[in-house]
Amino acid sequence: MADASTTDLVSATGSSEGGFLLSTLQSMVNWCRKNSVWPLPLGLSCCGIEFMATAASRYDMSRFGMEVARFSPRQADLMLVAGTLTYKMAQVMTRLYDQMSEPKWVIAMGACASSGGMFRSYPVVQGIDEFVPVDFYIPGCPPRPDAVLNCLIQLQKKIERDRSYRLEVEAPADAPIARGGLVRVEGRGEMAAPALAQSDQRWVEGTRPKAGVERPPTPVRER
Amino acid sequence: MSSIAYKSEAPATVRPAVAYELSSRGAQWCDYAACGADAKYRATPAALLPASAWVDAFRALRDQHGFDFLVDHSAVDYPDRSPRFTVVALVESTATHERLLLKARVAEGEAFPSLAGLYRSADWAERETYDMFGIPFAGHPDLTRIYMPQDYEGWPLRKDFPMEGHLRFRD
Repeated sequence: MADASTTDLVSATGSSEGGFLLSTLQSMVNWCRKNSVWPLPLGLSCCGIEFMATAASRYDMSRFGMEVARFSPRQADLMLVAGTLTYKMAQVMTRLYDQMSEPKWVIAMGACASSGGMFRSYPVVQGIDEFVPVDFYIPGCPPRPDAVLNCLIQLQKKIERDRSYRLEVEAPADAPIARGGLVRVEGRGEMAAPALAQSDQRWVEGTRPKAGVERPPTPVRER
Repeated sequence: MSSIAYKSEAPATVRPAVAYELSSRGAQWCDYAACGADAKYRATPAALLPASAWVDAFRALRDQHGFDFLVDHSAVDYPDRSPRFTVVALVESTATHERLLLKARVAEGEAFPSLAGLYRSADWAERETYDMFGIPFAGHPDLTRIYMPQDYEGWPLRKDFPMEGHLRFRD
């Protein structure tokens, strides 16, 4: 329990037996979630091989509680798109994403998933974020397992920062954030407006953009 | 690049019975030597057939001359030519390992006879040709796109299709 996220877990009795812990629900939930991220791997091309290496014993993803690769979207927390996504496959990917239950995260692994990679060509999606919201992009073609692990650790940190259980208070129209000055936040002291804005961009449960929602038509450019 | 020259007599490598079969149906034989093709491309005799003789020629080849395997079926887009497309089919005899390349021309939007009733392998191959070139095959059991999504617009292997496709750029 020397983990950074659990420093606010306080043992009230000082003993490991029969005691209880004082914490916030938020940090307990985050602690559980970040150590049991079950990935849904979409091994679409060579990145899938690197993902297998990440999961295998040498790099051993299970150190982070992520070894339970689920091939059912209903049991997965993380969609790891590893490889080249074609427009035909994008329909499948979007459906899988929609079937995952919240909270869910998406990683675009490698150049192809992030941007289409070297396939600037008619069947290939130029980045999976055309269809689903992406939390992390891993560069590389394909990325080494180290890079995947690093990304997964970053994902754990992101989950730690999650504040979806906090109460939402609607800000008054003349809130200081709109003026760009320093903002006083309860328990956090003064902080600059952009930082607050950034922290407020963290999604709140249920407000995250979902794939399949009607979006304005993307412009098509003839080249 | 010179276009392929044709002549009416078949190359010597073609069996006389096959040569007669195709020539009597109006086949013109590719004259590889006249168009300066490299020797390694001359191994397979090729003939240009009238589209009207397409299915009957293949039926005769399959039933009477042992060409029982349709190896490949595709098309080529020549935007400057009229008719625009050349449909190409490669058949092989699994007994003698002879191969024959047959071609026929078809205009844009014009239906072309399907070989799916003769060769099982023509089914998917013609769907691919349809998917990539937009050549409708008459008599095909299930003429739908095979690679691209069903709602895809355009025919990617046509020369006037943008190579990068209709990319969707984000602002």
